Amino acid sequence: MSKTIKLHVDMNRVEGDLEVSAELADGVVTDAWCAGTMFRGFENIMVGRGALDGLVITPRICGICSTAHLSAAAGALDRISGVEVPPDAQRIRNLALMTEHIQSDVRHTFLMFTADLVNPCYAKHALYPELARRYTPFQGSAVLEVLRQTKHVLEIVAILGGQWPHSSFMVPGGIASVPSSADLLQCRHLLRQYRSWYEQRILGCSLERWSQVQSSALLDAWLDEREEQRSGELGFLLRVCRALGLDAIGAGHDSFLSYGSLDLPAGSAVVATSGSRQLVPSGVARGTQVRAFDPAAVAEHVTHAWFEGEPGGVHPAQGQTVPYASGAEGRKYSWAKAPRYQGVPAETGPLAEAIVAGDPLLTELTQRSGASVLLRQLARLTRPARLIPAMECWLAETTGEGDLYRAPGAIPDGEGAGLVHAARGALGHWVRVEGGQIAHYQIITPTAWHASPRDSDGVRGPMEQALVGTRVADVANPVELGHVVRSFDPCLVCTVHSVQGGRALGTARVGGPT
Amino acid sequence: MRRIICIGNRYRPEDAAGPAVHDRLTAQGELPAGVELIDGGLGGLDLLRLVEGAARVVFVDSVRGLGAEGEVITASAAQVATLASAHADHAAGLPYLLRCLPLVCDGALPRITLVGLEGAVDEASVRRAAKLALNLALDDDGDRAPVVARGVAP
Repeated sequence: MSKTIKLHVDMNRVEGDLEVSAELADGVVTDAWCAGTMFRGFENIMVGRGALDGLVITPRICGICSTAHLSAAAGALDRISGVEVPPDAQRIRNLALMTEHIQSDVRHTFLMFTADLVNPCYAKHALYPELARRYTPFQGSAVLEVLRQTKHVLEIVAILGGQWPHSSFMVPGGIASVPSSADLLQCRHLLRQYRSWYEQRILGCSLERWSQVQSSALLDAWLDEREEQRSGELGFLLRVCRALGLDAIGAGHDSFLSYGSLDLPAGSAVVATSGSRQLVPSGVARGTQVRAFDPAAVAEHVTHAWFEGEPGGVHPAQGQTVPYASGAEGRKYSWAKAPRYQGVPAETGPLAEAIVAGDPLLTELTQRSGASVLLRQLARLTRPARLIPAMECWLAETTGEGDLYRAPGAIPDGEGAGLVHAARGALGHWVRVEGGQIAHYQIITPTAWHASPRDSDGVRGPMEQALVGTRVADVANPVELGHVVRSFDPCLVCTVHSVQGGRALGTARVGGPT
Repeated sequence: MRRIICIGNRYRPEDAAGPAVHDRLTAQGELPAGVELIDGGLGGLDLLRLVEGAARVVFVDSVRGLGAEGEVITASAAQVATLASAHADHAAGLPYLLRCLPLVCDGALPRITLVGLEGAVDEASVRRAAKLALNLALDDDGDRAPVVARGVAP
C-alpha cells in the first residue's frame, strides 16, 4: 500500500523555493510533485517600463545566467526593430553566451552535482575513498581545481562587455561595447588556458580525440585507452555514475526541446549540422526522432499553478502572469507555470541540444536506455568540448574593426520573441512594445520547463516524471531524489542572496500537497 | 587597493540593501583615493576575482537573522563562511564565496568584513551602513573601527 512520506532533500535552491513531494510504495517513487514556492513577478515589473529596460532588469533575474537573459531580451528587441545584427557583433554576443555555458557546465558538475556522491550512504562503496578525495565540498581535488580555473574564464564576458557583473552591452542592433584587438587577444589567451585545463583535467585527452567518440562502443574503448582518460574527471564520473546506478534513474517523458541558439554570423567558417542557421539547432524530439520546432506551439498551463487562467495552454505572447493564491488548495500547488510544446512536456538543456543536433554518442545512448541522470550530466560536462572550437574560430574571425552596431532607431510598436539557450536550456522572452513602452513581457526559463507542475490534462512535468520509478534506499536520506533533480540543474529564483543566520541552510521541507 | 563591494538585487526589496548603499556612496561623490566602489549585483562566486588583489574588502549586503530589525551589523569573513552550505547552489552567495576564498585565492588574502543591513531598508540604515563601509574600507586596524554593531557569534 502506498503512502505519502515527507522527505527532506537538499535541493539546489534553498529557502524552500523548490519543494519536492514524493509518494512511495515499497521504497519506489510512484508519484511526485515539484512546487515552486516563491512568486517572482519579474514579468509584471516590466510592463509600463521603457522599451529598453528589459536589457537592464532581466539580467538581474539570475546571477548565473545574466548573459542569457540579456541575449534573449536583446533578441526580442532585434525582432521588433527588424534590425540585422552585424556579423562581428553576433560573434561577440555568441562568445559571451558560450563563456557562460562552459563555466556553468563544469561548475554545476563539480560544485553542485558531485557533492551528493559523497553522501554517507555511499561510504561502503569501493569507490568512496576516491569520491571523497575528489568531490568533498571545500576540499576535493576536483572541487578546488574547478574553483581555481573557472574564476578566470568569465573575464571574457567582462572584457567583451566592457563591464561586469550585469553588463548590458547587448543592445538591439548589435553591441554597445567596442573590444580592442588587445582585448580580443586577451580573450583568446583566457580561452586557450581554459581549453588546456579542460583537456588535461576533465577529458584527459584533446578535444579532437574526444570528438571521435561517437558511439557507446567507442566510449568504452576510450575509457580503457589511456589512464589519463580513465582517471580524468569525465572518465571517473562516468565509471562512478554507472557503478552507482545513475544511468538507470531519472528517465522522464523522453521528450526533448531546443529553441535553437547562437546564430551563425555571415561569412563564418563555423557551420552547423543539417544546414541549421544556428550552432545549436532548433528542434523537438520524441525519443531521438527529431522534427522541426514551431515557436507557435509553445504554451503555458496554469491549472495547477497559483495563477489566474482558464484550462488549457496559452502562448506566452498572449499569456498573463496574474497570481491567484486562494481557494484552490489541493489543485494548485506551484508558483511555476507548466510550459508545454504541442501539449506535451519537454526537457531542454545540454542533452536535448545534443539529441536535436544529432550528436551520435548521446543519441545512441539515449536510444538504448532513454534519458537518465548520467546522460544529462554527461551531455553537460562534455558540452564545452562541442563549444570551444567554435569559440576559438569566432575569436579569430573577430577583427575589432568591423561594424558592431546598426542603429534601429526608436523601438517601434510590435512584438517579438528572443529565443536562446541559457546554460540549463531553452530561455524565451516574449515582448510587445506600444508607444515606446513595454506592454507585455513573458519569460519562460529552462527551469520552468523542467520543474513544471502538472498541466490541464494532469500530465506531470519533466522532473516530476523523472522522479517516478526512483528507488529510495533510505527515506531518511533520499539522496537518489537529489541526483534526479540536480541532473536538471534547476534554478527557480536566483536573486535572493541575503546572508542568513539561525536556521540550517541546505534543506527544504518536503511534503505532499494537501 | 581597498574595495567596497555592494551585493544584492535592487529589484527585490528584501535583497536591495547592497545596491542602496552603492547608490548612496555613488551620490556622495568622489571616494577617497585608493577606494574602489563596485556594484557586485548577483555576481556570487564570480566575485572571487574582485576580491583577489585587494588589501581590504568590505562587502555590503542584506542579512536576515543576524541582527534586530533595522540594525546594521558587521561580521568577519570567517564568521560568514560558517554559514556556507555544501552545494554551490544558486543561493550560495557570500558565505560560499568566503568559505572558498582561502582555498583558491591568488595572492595574499585581503582583510574582509561584511556590513549587513537587517530587515527592511530605510534611509537611516542605508546612511549608517554607507558610513560604516567607508570607514572600514579606510581602516587599517579593525580594532579602531568607529562603529561596531552586534556581530555574529562564531
